[in-house]
Amino acid sequence: MYDVVIIGGGLSGLMASIWLADRGKKTALISKGDPMCCLSTGCIDVFRGTSSPLKGIERSPRGHPYHLVGLEGIRDSLNFFKKIMAGSGLNYIGDIETNRGILTPLGTIKATCLVPQTMEAAYTGADEYIHIVSFKGLKDFYPAYITSKNENAGYSVFDAGISTTIGLATRFEDTTFRREFVAKLKSWEIPNGRIALPAVLGLSSSVEIMEAISKELDRKIFEIPTLPPSIPGIRLFRRLKYTLQQKGGDIYWGRDIASVERSDTQIEAVTIVTGSRPTRVEGRAFVLATGSFVSGGLYALRESVYETVFNLPVIFPKKRAKWFNEDFFDIGHPIEKAGIRVDRSFRPRHANLENLFVCGSILAFSDIMKYRCGNGMAIATGVAAAKSLDGWLG
Amino acid sequence: MKFEHCIRCTICVENCPVFSVEPKFPGPKQAGPDAQRFRMDGEVSVDSWVLFCSQCKRCETVCPYGVDVSEIILKAQIKYVEEHGRSIANYMFANTYNIGILASAFAPIVNKIINTHLVKNIMRVIGISTYIPFPRYHAFTLSKGRRKVGKASKKVVFFYGCYLNFNRPDIGRKIRSILVSMGLEVITPHQVCCGLPALGNGDLDSARRFANKNAGILVHYINRGYDVVYACTSCGLTLVRDYPGIMALPDGKKISENTYNVHEYILNLMEEGYVNPEFGPIDMRIAYHIPCHLRSLGIGYPAARLFEMVPDLQYQVLDDNCCGLSGTYGFKEKNKEVSVKLGKLATLPILEYAPDAIASDCGACRMQLGGLTGISTIDPSEIIFRSLNMSLSAYGGKKNMSAGGQDDKGDD
Repeated sequence: MYDVVIIGGGLSGLMASIWLADRGKKTALISKGDPMCCLSTGCIDVFRGTSSPLKGIERSPRGHPYHLVGLEGIRDSLNFFKKIMAGSGLNYIGDIETNRGILTPLGTIKATCLVPQTMEAAYTGADEYIHIVSFKGLKDFYPAYITSKNENAGYSVFDAGISTTIGLATRFEDTTFRREFVAKLKSWEIPNGRIALPAVLGLSSSVEIMEAISKELDRKIFEIPTLPPSIPGIRLFRRLKYTLQQKGGDIYWGRDIASVERSDTQIEAVTIVTGSRPTRVEGRAFVLATGSFVSGGLYALRESVYETVFNLPVIFPKKRAKWFNEDFFDIGHPIEKAGIRVDRSFRPRHANLENLFVCGSILAFSDIMKYRCGNGMAIATGVAAAKSLDGWLG
Repeated sequence: MKFEHCIRCTICVENCPVFSVEPKFPGPKQAGPDAQRFRMDGEVSVDSWVLFCSQCKRCETVCPYGVDVSEIILKAQIKYVEEHGRSIANYMFANTYNIGILASAFAPIVNKIINTHLVKNIMRVIGISTYIPFPRYHAFTLSKGRRKVGKASKKVVFFYGCYLNFNRPDIGRKIRSILVSMGLEVITPHQVCCGLPALGNGDLDSARRFANKNAGILVHYINRGYDVVYACTSCGLTLVRDYPGIMALPDGKKISENTYNVHEYILNLMEEGYVNPEFGPIDMRIAYHIPCHLRSLGIGYPAARLFEMVPDLQYQVLDDNCCGLSGTYGFKEKNKEVSVKLGKLATLPILEYAPDAIASDCGACRMQLGGLTGISTIDPSEIIFRSLNMSLSAYGGKKNMSAGGQDDKGDD
């Protein structure tokens, strides 16, 4: 019997689990495959558009899940995130007061809030020369896109004998390879300025690798996030998972939840499909962090949307014709508001369940594409739901 | 789930060990669901790179959409091998069981010569790699020991698997003793290889022959109220996943539903209140390398839950790396380079943790990681055995069976 069973192994579920395990709660995390944060840039977008995410959140609609957490709660949760990442060797830089710019593979600047330390030196608006080092054969990363938008930039190509982000990141873990790489770069006599690389500087020791190369070349270097397979996304997921395991949390890599046992007001156990005999996991309290449509937490039928684990009531525009805007590229389709409505304690409304708490992108009115708040909201609501649950369990 | 369910998110690619070090392998997405669209019945296979897949099944475990990526690839591998012929190494490794019978019959001689230069040279010629020493064979295998130990109303069949049987019967006897000490009757019936090595070497017919033989034995006991307990996580995955799945055994589902990992079974007994074992302290620091196939079973990491109950035991779960040996995969000369590269990557977090020993449920993982690091290896059950302060003689084993300082490393 666990104190808490968390369903969903994404950023929100992991943060909730780690917070609870940190408080000595016996936790089990159930994940259907690896989460979407593995495909992300690894950056924590908190709120788009404004120079300060904090101000953006203040001005966002009252129904947005951020308002259930509150500004202090959001700040605390991001600090908690930064603390555990620093403890796991993958330092994050930034604070809730400011959005910072990072360079994208298209040569544009993306505003985000917290960035892995390997992106700290990314383009900040200063007119300093940037030299991009790409790798022979690497798909979906074309330095010419960047140089076409930035006059004060150039590039060279290194032949690493492998041309995938995963292959390159694996190679960077090898010190012999790193020595060859640095020697080659030195021989190129790159003009003064910063060096930018696609984000492939190692899988687990990226900060150390970056610092070592930076020291050798005596200049700042930084990573540019790539399309998936995205190494900073994998690093983020793996370090969080590792942290949870260090704190004694159990993880079940399963498939779907096959069945749910509930009494009048409580969830008592869930059963995981494993390909053979189903595995039953009992808990005193449960967290639902299964994500939105793409992660399978919500499922759309022709005229309705349902929640896939507990069949909780879902908010969505009633008429299918109202789900989408005319233009596909319009930001903020009404269907993106779909999700579970929760009360201040993060319990689902109208479900009459006292031991179930909901967090992450499955929450109604989160409008993640519109506000670019996916990872930030995952962290803030994950920690907030965990706190509420902890208060109830005592 | 079928290949059509793949949304090309690349999470499988992110987790493919072989893809990370072998540029010739296009990765699970392309080798599986992508290429499947072009594979038609009646057309000859052209994609020889499917053979690079080591069947670690990580792609399948991490797929958020439940696509059976590795099974799609496995079917393509079987088809390719059927059409293009098998190597000597394929034949040998499909029949590790028969080789095990021979080798254990002549164990003293085999152990003397197996790691000599001459034999190693011959092995390399026929395509077998020798970078880690071959495991020692034992004459007194589990199959030769007592059939029934303990007497109780709760009864289990022990499926020990080839590695414990031929190479580490001492661990098998310890596991049996643990089960008996928990008030179980343990039957160790005659059994054969689970069939996985044959499957992995593209020989579905042999795999089915092995599986059918086991199915007859296991179902006989299941029908009489026995549960099946396995120790080797790859044998376990084959019993629960492949018997009803790719091997399509009529009794596959019944076997699958009644088969348990040994540590999972112990936890269940504790949760039911059937036993309340007292774990004694063990002052050790353990790097617990999770075998890919344990992760794939979807039962969590039951041994880690038992470790948590052992006072003073320090451990760290490590599940991000495949050891690279993947059963017989790394023992093939053509896969050696991939296997060694992956093995070295897997040793990095282990060396960082600086453990007294590496624990793993899988004999192959232990051989590889022990061989590459020189750190001693231990089966999780051995830790439990020690923590319960047990000795083999008390539970139907031969006296002094545990003596002799055995390890998964062979003599080199």
